[in-house]
Amino acid sequence: MVFGRGKPSSPAAATSSAAAAACSELRAAYHECFNRWYADKFAKGQWNKDDCAADWHKYRACLEEHLEDKHLRQILLESETSPSYAQLDPDSSSRQGATPSK
Amino acid sequence: MVVSYTQEHVYLHPWHRVTAAAWRKFTDPAALPHILDVQTLSRDVDPRAGRLHAVRAIAGRPPPLPLLLRGLAATAGAGDVALCVERTSVDAAARAMRVVSRNATFRRLVDVEERCSYAPHPERPDEWTVFTQETSIRCAPLAAVSATVAGMVERRCAESFAQNAARGKEAVERICDGLALAEHVPGPSPADGEER
Repeated sequence: MVFGRGKPSSPAAATSSAAAAACSELRAAYHECFNRWYADKFAKGQWNKDDCAADWHKYRACLEEHLEDKHLRQILLESETSPSYAQLDPDSSSRQGATPSK
Repeated sequence: MVVSYTQEHVYLHPWHRVTAAAWRKFTDPAALPHILDVQTLSRDVDPRAGRLHAVRAIAGRPPPLPLLLRGLAATAGAGDVALCVERTSVDAAARAMRVVSRNATFRRLVDVEERCSYAPHPERPDEWTVFTQETSIRCAPLAAVSATVAGMVERRCAESFAQNAARGKEAVERICDGLALAEHVPGPSPADGEER
């Protein structure tokens, strides 16, 4: 396992400590899935399937319940309503299929 | 007053590997000792266009401040954890990755914005990757902060950012080496069989 409980002492110190403690396993599962999928598939041209959606939904539901930091919570909740690809790469927004799928 | 600088670095690894390493540098536990915690706050995958957008919160140990500034940081409500919000966009078809990070804590004191991009190297697009990083640091126009102190905060931040950027580059290099090795040695899992 890449992200084990290697550093049990540190996450408790972070701002998102409640979420870090409550969601650490779901987060590890999601990040591990994402890192593998990105490296083996997405970045190499096989982007037609999102392999980690199930892990993401579980992890996100946990964050929604436990994330305390107001600023971070706002970003989390906003992200549901406004997919925001365009804001970082205006150059490519004119390309076909620019409309986000959800 | 704003301090800004640009850095460029060429990784002798292909774009897919370098960007994979860039995602991992904060989540691999041993890669960067000053990072305490990473949460992904949002992610959107567009499987048709090959695009991905994610927002992550990164908690780290703030740089040690000079004594004079410690009191100021405390009045500004900053704790002993520095939090950054990082927004990443990847266009896999165009092989473009952009990362914009901003501090979420210490904001009443300083505003740091970092814009990074990872692109195939123009001369060896399938083998090398160009990384560029633009950092701008602006001290908040606090009435309490004199120009001298503001300059000191900015320089201090610039130093610690330069240091963290160097550590980040080293971490990406190390992870790239690991990924390169894994690509050439068939992994234990049968799912890895599809790799060249």
